[in-house]
Amino acid sequence: MPGGDFHPWFFVVVAAWVLVCALGVVLFKKIMYSAVSMVFCFLGVAFAYALLNAPLVAIIQILVYVGAISVVIIFAIMLTEVQHGGYELFFNRQTAVAAAAALIGAAVLAIVSLSADIGPIGDKSLTPGLRPLSKLIFDRYVLPFELVSLVLVAAMIGAIVLSTRERER
Amino acid sequence: MNALYWWLLLAFLLFCIGAFGVLARRNIILVVMSLEIMLNAVNIALVAIANFRGGARGAGTLFALFIIVLAAAEVTVGLAIVIANYRNRSTVQTDTYDELKG
Amino acid sequence: MEGTQYMKIAVALIVLLPLAGFIITLLLGKRFFRAKAHILPVTVVTITAVLSIYAFEWVFRHPEEAFIWNAFTWVAAGRFTVEWGFLVDPLTGIMLLVVGIIGMLVHYYSIGYMKDDPGYYRFFAYLNLFMFAMFVLILANNYLLLFLGWEGVGLCSYLLISFWFRKKSASQAGKKAFLVNRVGDFGFTLGMFLIFVTTGTLQFTGVFDKAEMIGSGTLLWICLLLFTGAVGKSAQFPLHVWLPDAMEGPTPVSALIHAATMVNAGVYMVARSYPLFLHSDVAMLIVMIVGTFTAIYSAYIAITQNDIKKVIAYSTVSSLGFMFLALGAGAWAAGIFYLFAHGFFKGLLFLCSGSVIHAMSGEQDMRQMGGLRKKIPITFWTMLIGAIALIGVFPFAGFWAKDEILGGAFVGGYYVVWAVGIVTAFLTAVFAFRLIFMTFFGESRASEEVQHHIHESPKVMTIPLVLLAIPSALLGAVAGFPPEKGWIHTFLEPVFYDVEHEEFYWVGEGGGLMLFSVAVALLGVYVAYVLYIRRTEVPGRMAKRLPIAYKASLNKMYMDQVYEVVPIRSTLALASWLWTFFDVKIIDGAVNGLAWLWGWFGDKLRPIQTGHVQNYVMYVFGGMIVLVVVVSWVWGG
Repeated sequence: MPGGDFHPWFFVVVAAWVLVCALGVVLFKKIMYSAVSMVFCFLGVAFAYALLNAPLVAIIQILVYVGAISVVIIFAIMLTEVQHGGYELFFNRQTAVAAAAALIGAAVLAIVSLSADIGPIGDKSLTPGLRPLSKLIFDRYVLPFELVSLVLVAAMIGAIVLSTRERER
Repeated sequence: MNALYWWLLLAFLLFCIGAFGVLARRNIILVVMSLEIMLNAVNIALVAIANFRGGARGAGTLFALFIIVLAAAEVTVGLAIVIANYRNRSTVQTDTYDELKG
Repeated sequence: MEGTQYMKIAVALIVLLPLAGFIITLLLGKRFFRAKAHILPVTVVTITAVLSIYAFEWVFRHPEEAFIWNAFTWVAAGRFTVEWGFLVDPLTGIMLLVVGIIGMLVHYYSIGYMKDDPGYYRFFAYLNLFMFAMFVLILANNYLLLFLGWEGVGLCSYLLISFWFRKKSASQAGKKAFLVNRVGDFGFTLGMFLIFVTTGTLQFTGVFDKAEMIGSGTLLWICLLLFTGAVGKSAQFPLHVWLPDAMEGPTPVSALIHAATMVNAGVYMVARSYPLFLHSDVAMLIVMIVGTFTAIYSAYIAITQNDIKKVIAYSTVSSLGFMFLALGAGAWAAGIFYLFAHGFFKGLLFLCSGSVIHAMSGEQDMRQMGGLRKKIPITFWTMLIGAIALIGVFPFAGFWAKDEILGGAFVGGYYVVWAVGIVTAFLTAVFAFRLIFMTFFGESRASEEVQHHIHESPKVMTIPLVLLAIPSALLGAVAGFPPEKGWIHTFLEPVFYDVEHEEFYWVGEGGGLMLFSVAVALLGVYVAYVLYIRRTEVPGRMAKRLPIAYKASLNKMYMDQVYEVVPIRSTLALASWLWTFFDVKIIDGAVNGLAWLWGWFGDKLRPIQTGHVQNYVMYVFGGMIVLVVVVSWVWGG
């Protein structure tokens, strides 16, 4: 099987899982349902990474997305209001247009990519293993690596600054 | 119709589902969640191409890693803003955020 | 050419000294010179007079060669080059004498006349500027430099006519002079263009060498266009209307500019273009007709004018007409001879009138004068000499010149012209002695207070009068005798080559015409004597009997009204229409409409900004899809 030796049925399962959960995110009325859906979606994506011979990315995905981002989002949900009501409360006025746009977008992308020539694919997976990858991080791309940590620090500080309440005198 | 095409198709569909969420939902936190979906879609495309076609001396997956990290930072700051905004006006409805109107 | 280095210095100084005088007096006059502001300009002008005499003497000694000096290049534009170049030939020599001497005398006269005027320094500065421009005009060796001087004297004319600019009539007169002159200048400019296009140069020698080769149609146009400029500058019909109004300026200005020098520029220019006119009989005919008509036209107006300066002004227009008559009839030397003499006696007449006005405490209306003969004798005698010279009685200056012109016309076969000239001479005698009799004879009609103040002018004014009276009396005999073969004719021969010289017979034609014209002049004097001394009620009765004739003369033949209606009103109407229709409706409409259009667009586009970010994201997403389609299509996907 090109690019690895996993059965194509694995792909179908993972793909269906991810898509269904994504649809759940965007379609549920209750926001908590959407959040849980999102967590499962991330899990599915992690599996996809595994299928694509990128185990490191899969692990990081779970650690960061499932473990951290989802938590943050759920905290945020809990800190804000809960809405009860009909569909007009949850979907805005351009929903129809948005749906049409999304569908057309998907169609366009699909057709364009299908008619494009993306070259031959070989038998072997071309993602690097752990050792070559770490070599890349600390050798060629050490600058972006450090910059990214800088960004994280900045984000942390920013979040703290934004969250402090004004002190009462 | 080789395997790469299928993975890309998945990525595109995921992207457009996320786009729908960004465009059509009224709760701002839900919009943020849909944004994360879109980021994941992009990542899948990136890793798929890295797997099947290689390139950039194998930095494709590394790039995906960076995206994940930056997404985390972005969510943090973004939600901090949302919460701060919620404190002032007690609503998360996107329709009410229209100070830039006109 | 030997001895030319002194000539170069002389010419350069003649041009530069007045310019320097102008600049310095203008800049420093108000603060530092004040009442002494005349010292520098007068010194300058005395030096230039001496230098002018020197230059004249040089030409006198070298009659066949002309002094030509190209000092430096002024314009260098491809094929079009013009130099600051000077030419001194016999014609220039005569002009230098006129301008230099009379200019100097007027400056001295002004010391007395303009005393205590608040603009004293300004007056002398402008006078010096005028001298600069006039000298450039007569010394130039190409049409463009001549035109520079031409425009310069026009400017000075404007500045000096409206010298008392706070007086509305004065400033309007200045504007009128400038504008009417402009019309003539326009023709002159077109003439210069045509000259350059046909001959490729504006230098006199270059143009005249090629004169024979120019086609007769083109040549006629050139001559007529140049003559248009002369018509404007020398106040011929129909561009004469500015000169009488120019009497608003101080009398020295009238004397210098409007009698002795500037108005001669037109005559000079035509005379200078002799080689061009020589080959165009039609042009010369037109020149002669215009001159003749103007001469009698303005003489007719002069006989009813009551302002002493206006009489002399119209007389000047008439005299200038006479000069053009001469040039057109082919009596070139005679015309220049008349110009020479006229400068002196007309300048004299103006300065005398200034002296009279000064004595009458500013009164210019002759109806208020009378009996001044005993009270201001010097002025009386000099003015009398000037008047006799004007009407052309033997042996004074005007006689020889005028008679040669009329004789030349008669002998040349232009009998109508001669007849008109004779009538004009008669009218001239009438109005000239009307002036003398009304002003100096009879009982004084002035008020008690004015009579009390009547006094002779100071020496600084009367000496120039005497100095001018001498050549007015004697110049004719000295320079023009015997007729057709006098000194001035041989002197000007190098300039006016190819002119036929008629033989002059003392007995017979020449002598007979002479006697006749003298008789006509004396008849005019007698008529004036009768009308204004013996039976002073007659003019009034004549005016009542012939009201149309009288009113036409008094109102300057209604020329100003004609100008008002025909060109002025129609232009104003056009301008007004252009304003209300074109400017307001179309141009303002377009501009305002354009502004309104942008506003309308903005208004229509404003709803795009809803303030909702999700709308904006929709636009981005949509745009992205479009981009994908376009790019893939372009790449042939």
